[in-house]
Amino acid sequence: MLVRRVSNGMEGSAQREVFIPITCMHCEHETPCVSVCPQQAVEVDKATGIVMQMPQRCLGCRYCMTACPYHARYFNWWDPAWPAGMEKSLNPGVAVRMRGVVEKCNMCHARLHSAMAKAAAAGKREINLADYVPACVEACPTAAIRFGNLADQNDPVSHEARSPDAFRLLARLDTEPKVYYKSKEAWVKALAESKSGPGSEVKRSEVKHG
Amino acid sequence: MFPGVDGFRWTLGHILFLSLFFAVALTILVTVVSAVWRTVRDFRTNRAIELCWKSDFAQLPETERRCRHELAGRVMSRTCDNAFDCRQCSNYSQFAVQPARGIVHDLGINYSNDRFYHRGHTWVKPEEDGTLTIGPDELAERLIGSPDSIEMPEMGSEIEINGTAWQMTKNGKEIRVRAPIEGTVVGIGGPKEGWYLKLRPRLNPSDPVTLRHLLRGPEVHFWLSRELERLQLQLRPPNTAPSLADGGVLIDGLMDAMPEADWGTVLADTFLET
Amino acid sequence: MASTALADSRWIARGEERTSLPQFLLWLAPWAVVLALGVYAAGLCLYYGLNQTNMDNRFAFGLWIFLDLGVIALGAGAFFTGFLVYILKRAELQPILNTAVVVGFICYSGAVGILMIDVGQPLRAWFTFWHPNTHSMLTEVTFCISCYLLVLCLEYIPILLRNRQLRKLPSFLVFEHQLHKLVPVLAGVGTLLSFFHQGSLGGLYGVLRGRPFAFREGFFIWPSTFFLFILSAIASGPSFLMLVTATVEKVTGRRLVPQELFQRLGFISGVLLAIYIAAKSIDTLIWLNFTSPSMGFAPWQYYSYKPFGLPIVFAEIVLFGLLPAFLLTYRRTAKRRGLLLSAAALACAGILLNRFVLTVQTLALPTLAFDDFLHYTPSWQEVASFGGVLGYGVIVYSLSYRYLPLFAHAKEGGNTHVSGS
Repeated sequence: MLVRRVSNGMEGSAQREVFIPITCMHCEHETPCVSVCPQQAVEVDKATGIVMQMPQRCLGCRYCMTACPYHARYFNWWDPAWPAGMEKSLNPGVAVRMRGVVEKCNMCHARLHSAMAKAAAAGKREINLADYVPACVEACPTAAIRFGNLADQNDPVSHEARSPDAFRLLARLDTEPKVYYKSKEAWVKALAESKSGPGSEVKRSEVKHG
Repeated sequence: MFPGVDGFRWTLGHILFLSLFFAVALTILVTVVSAVWRTVRDFRTNRAIELCWKSDFAQLPETERRCRHELAGRVMSRTCDNAFDCRQCSNYSQFAVQPARGIVHDLGINYSNDRFYHRGHTWVKPEEDGTLTIGPDELAERLIGSPDSIEMPEMGSEIEINGTAWQMTKNGKEIRVRAPIEGTVVGIGGPKEGWYLKLRPRLNPSDPVTLRHLLRGPEVHFWLSRELERLQLQLRPPNTAPSLADGGVLIDGLMDAMPEADWGTVLADTFLET
Repeated sequence: MASTALADSRWIARGEERTSLPQFLLWLAPWAVVLALGVYAAGLCLYYGLNQTNMDNRFAFGLWIFLDLGVIALGAGAFFTGFLVYILKRAELQPILNTAVVVGFICYSGAVGILMIDVGQPLRAWFTFWHPNTHSMLTEVTFCISCYLLVLCLEYIPILLRNRQLRKLPSFLVFEHQLHKLVPVLAGVGTLLSFFHQGSLGGLYGVLRGRPFAFREGFFIWPSTFFLFILSAIASGPSFLMLVTATVEKVTGRRLVPQELFQRLGFISGVLLAIYIAAKSIDTLIWLNFTSPSMGFAPWQYYSYKPFGLPIVFAEIVLFGLLPAFLLTYRRTAKRRGLLLSAAALACAGILLNRFVLTVQTLALPTLAFDDFLHYTPSWQEVASFGGVLGYGVIVYSLSYRYLPLFAHAKEGGNTHVSGS
């Protein structure tokens, strides 16, 4: 996940800033990265809508990275390495990807699996949504990131996504992303479409996060 | 790729793509296998030597590919386009009716009127019992002198025309003598016997077409005359102009007498090698 | 120097003039150094990983991809010459056919070599064949380029087997003869494969809905860049062959082909270039006025970043497009060799510029509203690897020129190879 820090370009007391976390948008329609992968290492899971990546099959050609308009994919340029002893703190439920492959947000698939296992153990077919919370949602101290079932009309998060203040990035590209942003500020809503060029009011900078 | 690999579903795209790919792959495979199989077949049917000769012939310098009828003065200038295969040449009859023309003078090299000569410097003599005797002509013998070693074919083996009759080495150079005619080896001779091989010919020796490609009579004279001119040019010391020799006989054992000459080229042109 | 006086004269065809062996080795030496440096750089990338390059998560494709596309476009002369000679029976192009095959072989083997370093996991390259994604242009490229490289090897083998010593083995000579007879089939297959992979290389960028700078509408599943790449490749192929042959003539100091051949190649290249520029202009207008705005990207914003301003469009279409097309086809100018070769160089430069624009510029331009315009400079390992391909190419071609009959002698008929009955 990359958290972008964007300013409205004004000076003094008129200056405003927002933090925009960019993750994989899990595009639904003509997913750019799925159609271009030569090995079919990416696919859209019909049941959950999650765009899944198989690092074991990835060749590392990075074609999907050029295809993604949201720059949500990351290539492992280096071998993974930790200071001595720190590898013991790794999550045993999540595989470490090797050098030379592309990876991206998979909606904490490991957590989905444990929620599914828990439901199966209780003999249920559907998971309890409270059991499946992605790490970024759990970590955010201000609950700025919320997670829910878009297909469920009664889901509160799904309801929020349909509010008039909600927007998606680069919606005109017609990729049907599943990540919605919500803001009352007009200048933030204007960030949805690419209208930038040198000299435009929006200043850009970024804060990289792991 | 195949049904059974997880998540595979047949779509029209798969069918089109894979059928095109396999069609292309099959075409390439068939092409290579075809070429290999035809090669094997050529060796089995003894066509290989004929193909090699035709290919080698095309590599010879133009001066070595002069038509025999040009040598004999029947036509002004003509390059052979048929690898010296007068048996199959469509123009042969129109030239052959004309007499050979040219100045006859003493060459200092002996040749015989009862023998037929191959452009690779061997002679063929039909014997009464229907066999053919073969040996190197005098120009070849004088060039080489006494060879260091001779490798003869085995009794009963098949010789192909323009293939290998026998091989010799001299002063580190390997010489392959081309066979003037095809047949089975029924006798092996050597330098002392005056002949090298006796062949039972595959074709009927009384048929005039059988020996048609070989030079005879005055043709031999004009051909040898040109060959001697070539040798004069090729064997002269470097940086000297060609000189007109009058009289004088080709000495025996030229390879020993002039070791510094460019024998690679001389032997290649004489024995029709590339 | 006559071939008889050379140290390796056994390997050189009789009657051929070649430079002395020490001088030849001296010529090869700097290219061998460049190749060695390239191999070392490639080794570093394979051992340490792609962090040796200056590519990053925003600039996922860099110098190597640009060069891959470039050399494959320039190497199109191989299949196109084969198509013209064997399928369309244009015998006047025969003298350049062997050179075209060798150049094609060098270009494609070099491109595949670079691709093997460019991917993060080269040992997984066979996955594309086992799990092909028929929707992806890259699958198509992989399949077609692999097959075509095989075809080029098969076309190169007869030339190799005509070496003076190799042909002495009867099995080699007969096999060469039989393979040579089947070369028209290979030329046809090569044409089909090349049509698809040259196009798919263009399709790689035309399908990118996430990059409106590159995205194009087209015909059925193929974006317009599919057809534009084919046109530009066959336009630049003959020009590149002209430049290679002219360079070889300059270096060896001999006239190797009939001089009218240059004009002929130039004319073909010029006509195709003109058609390409016409198609490209129409395509650009459609893209500027319809395709791009419908995706929410105003065209002016692409060209507002220095140094990728409107001059690039002008350069591509006029300076490296219309100008060489005119010079190559207009008879009066085409008679002058220097002008003809300059026009050929401009044509090749134009095609390289086009590849650059689609690979590098596409990635440099921002998509999200708060994206930066990116800068990218290749690292020395990337440059050295490419240099290695260049050194490899010069060495392979030099060896082929010295030991193989690349150019037919001025014998009767011009072609020394006699295909038997």
